[in-house]
Amino acid sequence: MKTKINGTNGKIISLATSLGVCLALYICLVSSLTAALLILALGLGLIIYGERKDSIEQVYLSVEKNKPIVLGIIVLFVLVLPFLLHKNNYLLHVVVMAGIYAIVALGLNFQVGSTGMVNFAPAALFGAGAYVSAIAAVKFGISPWLGILLGMVGAALLGLIFGFPALKTRGYYLSLVTIALQIIFTQMIVNTAWLGGPNGIPGIPPYELAGFSFKQSLKILGLTIPYQINYIYLTFIFLGLTALAASRLYTSRTGLAWNAIEQDEIVAATQGINLTKEKLLAFALGAAFAGVAGALYAHYTSFIGYEDFDFSKSLILICMVLLGGMDNVSGVTLGAILLTIIDEKLRDFADYRMLMYSVILITILITRSQGLLPKRTRKYKEKSTGMPCVGQTVTMGGESSGSLKN
Amino acid sequence: MEVLRTEALTINFGGLKAVNEVDFVIGDEVVGLIGPNGSGKTTFLNLVSGIYRATSGHVHFMQEDITDCAPHEVRSKGIARTFQTNRLCLNLSVLDNMLLGLHSRQKSTWWQAIFQPSRCQQELEDNIERCFEVLAHFNPELIDKRYEPVSKIPLIDRRRIEIARAIVGEPKLLLLDEPTAGLNTEETMEMIDDIGRLRESKMKVSIIIIEHDMAVISRISQRVVVLNAGRKIAEGTFEEVSQNEEVRTAYLGG
Repeated sequence: MKTKINGTNGKIISLATSLGVCLALYICLVSSLTAALLILALGLGLIIYGERKDSIEQVYLSVEKNKPIVLGIIVLFVLVLPFLLHKNNYLLHVVVMAGIYAIVALGLNFQVGSTGMVNFAPAALFGAGAYVSAIAAVKFGISPWLGILLGMVGAALLGLIFGFPALKTRGYYLSLVTIALQIIFTQMIVNTAWLGGPNGIPGIPPYELAGFSFKQSLKILGLTIPYQINYIYLTFIFLGLTALAASRLYTSRTGLAWNAIEQDEIVAATQGINLTKEKLLAFALGAAFAGVAGALYAHYTSFIGYEDFDFSKSLILICMVLLGGMDNVSGVTLGAILLTIIDEKLRDFADYRMLMYSVILITILITRSQGLLPKRTRKYKEKSTGMPCVGQTVTMGGESSGSLKN
Repeated sequence: MEVLRTEALTINFGGLKAVNEVDFVIGDEVVGLIGPNGSGKTTFLNLVSGIYRATSGHVHFMQEDITDCAPHEVRSKGIARTFQTNRLCLNLSVLDNMLLGLHSRQKSTWWQAIFQPSRCQQELEDNIERCFEVLAHFNPELIDKRYEPVSKIPLIDRRRIEIARAIVGEPKLLLLDEPTAGLNTEETMEMIDDIGRLRESKMKVSIIIIEHDMAVISRISQRVVVLNAGRKIAEGTFEEVSQNEEVRTAYLGG
C-alpha cells in the first residue's frame, strides 16, 4: 500500500473519510444501541485494518493536506444536523452535551494524555466553571457572555490549586489526591447554602443576542426547530476554537515539554523544562477549557446541581480521553462524542446502565488498549522540503486543525 | 578560562558521604572522571546538574554560584548532560528528542502557540534546521529517520542522539556519563571519535566524561580526576594518574 497519493486521490480519501465519519456519527445518534455499537465495531475494524496495511498514515496525510475540504464537510454537517433532527429535542440535546463534554475532554487530555498526570477531578473543574457563571448571572446579574470568561478564569484558578499536589505526587498518589479534591468539591457545594446546597441553582438565564433569547425555537424555511439548535451552534463554535487551540499547543514547545514530563521527569528537567511551571500550566489550561464548557452547560440547562459534577462524571470524562486516544485531539473529540451518545442510548437499561457502560468500555479497551486513535509521532512542517505537517489530523466531529498554521 | 569550579562539594545520604569535599576545576578542556564503582562519579554529575542538592560546598559556573539552582536552571545557564543508562523519551521521535534539547533556547510561550502560530512556526523551522546540523555531525542517516520513534533506533544511535540532544542547545559544559556503556569495541571507538570531533567543530564545549574504559580515557581526555569513596584522590594527566600509588590501590583493592 505504498502508492503515492496524488492530488485528486488525496482529495477523494479525505472527502470519503470526513463524510464517512459524519455519517457514522449520525447513524449512531439516530439508530438503536445495537446499530450504534455495530457502527463503532465497524469503525474500529477499519482503523485497525488501516494500521495493519499502513494506509492510516496516508489517510492522516491526505486529510491534513486537504484540511479545507474536511473542515468544510464537518462545518456543513454541524449546520445541517439540527434540521435533520428537528422533530427530536432529545437527540438535539444529546448533540449539545456531546459538544460540551468534548470541550472538557480536550482540556482533561492536557493532564491525562499529554503530561501523564491522572486527574480524577475534571468534573470539579467543569463544575467550577458552571457555578461561577451561574452565580454571577443569578446573584449578580452579570451577562452570561461575560460568565463564559468568568467561568474560564474561575476554573483555571481552581485548576492551579488542583495542580499543586501534582508537583509533589505522582501516579497512584496523585490519583488519590485528585479523587479527594473531587469529593471535597462536591461536599463543599452540598454544604454551602449560598451555592444552593443540595437544591442546586435553578433559573439560570439563557444567552441572549441582540434581544434574541437562546431559549426560543428557531423558525427557518417554514421549519420550527427546537431551541437546542442555538446551543448546538454555540457549543460547536467553542468546540472548534478549543480543538484548534489544543492542536496548536500539541505541536508547540509546550506540548512537547508535556510529553517529555510524561516520559521521564528527570530528563525533562535536565533539558531545561521547568517542571513546576509546565505541570501547573497543564492543569490551569485544561481547567480553563472545562470552565468554558461548564459555563455553557449552566446556561444551557438553566439548572445545575452538585450531582452533575460528581465523581462518577469525572470517571466518564476520563473514559472519554482513554477511549478516544490519549494525546490525540481528534481521538479525544471523537471519544467524547461517541461515549456521550452511547451513554444516552443506555438509558433504556435503567438500573443496568452503568453495568452495560462498563462492559462496553472494557470490551473496547481490551481490543484496543491505546484508544480509537492512538498517540502519533509528531510531524512538523519543515523549511526546505516542504513536508506537509501531519501533527494532528483525521478530524472527526469537532474541528481540529493540524500543526501550526502558517 | 575557568568554566566550572566546585569548592568542597559534599552530599550526605544518611551517614554516607557519597561526594566528600571535592574541589574540581575545568577550563576549556576534556576532563576524565574515573574511579571504582560507587566512588561518587555519577553523584558528582548529579550535583553539578542540579538533580541533587549539595549538603555543603559550592558549584560555580562561569563565575556564578549555581549550587542551589534547579536542573532546568542549570541547563538554561549552559550545562547539558547525558545519562549512564540511555535516557531518551522512547515514545517520541528522533526529531522530538532533539527539539527537547533546544527547549531552554526557545522563546515562544503557550500563549503565542495558540494566538501567534506563524511566529512559532518560524522558530520551529529554524530549530529543525539546527537539529539536522547536529544530527549530521553524528550520523546523517538519523535525519532520514527523524520521525521514527527512538524505541526503533539501535543503541549506538540512541547514544548519539542523547549526546546530540545535549549539544544542540550549544552548552558551554557537557557532562557525559559513560557514553560508551553497552557498546562493543568498534562502536566505542566510533563514539569516541564523534565526541572528539565535537571539540574540533565550531561548538567550543568543555567536557567532563565518566568512563570505565581506560583506553577511552587516555585517548580523549587532557586531564583525569580520580574519585574513591567520594573523595578526590588524584588528578593530572592520564600517565601521572596511572602511576599514582593511591589510585592503583583503589582500583586493585590492594
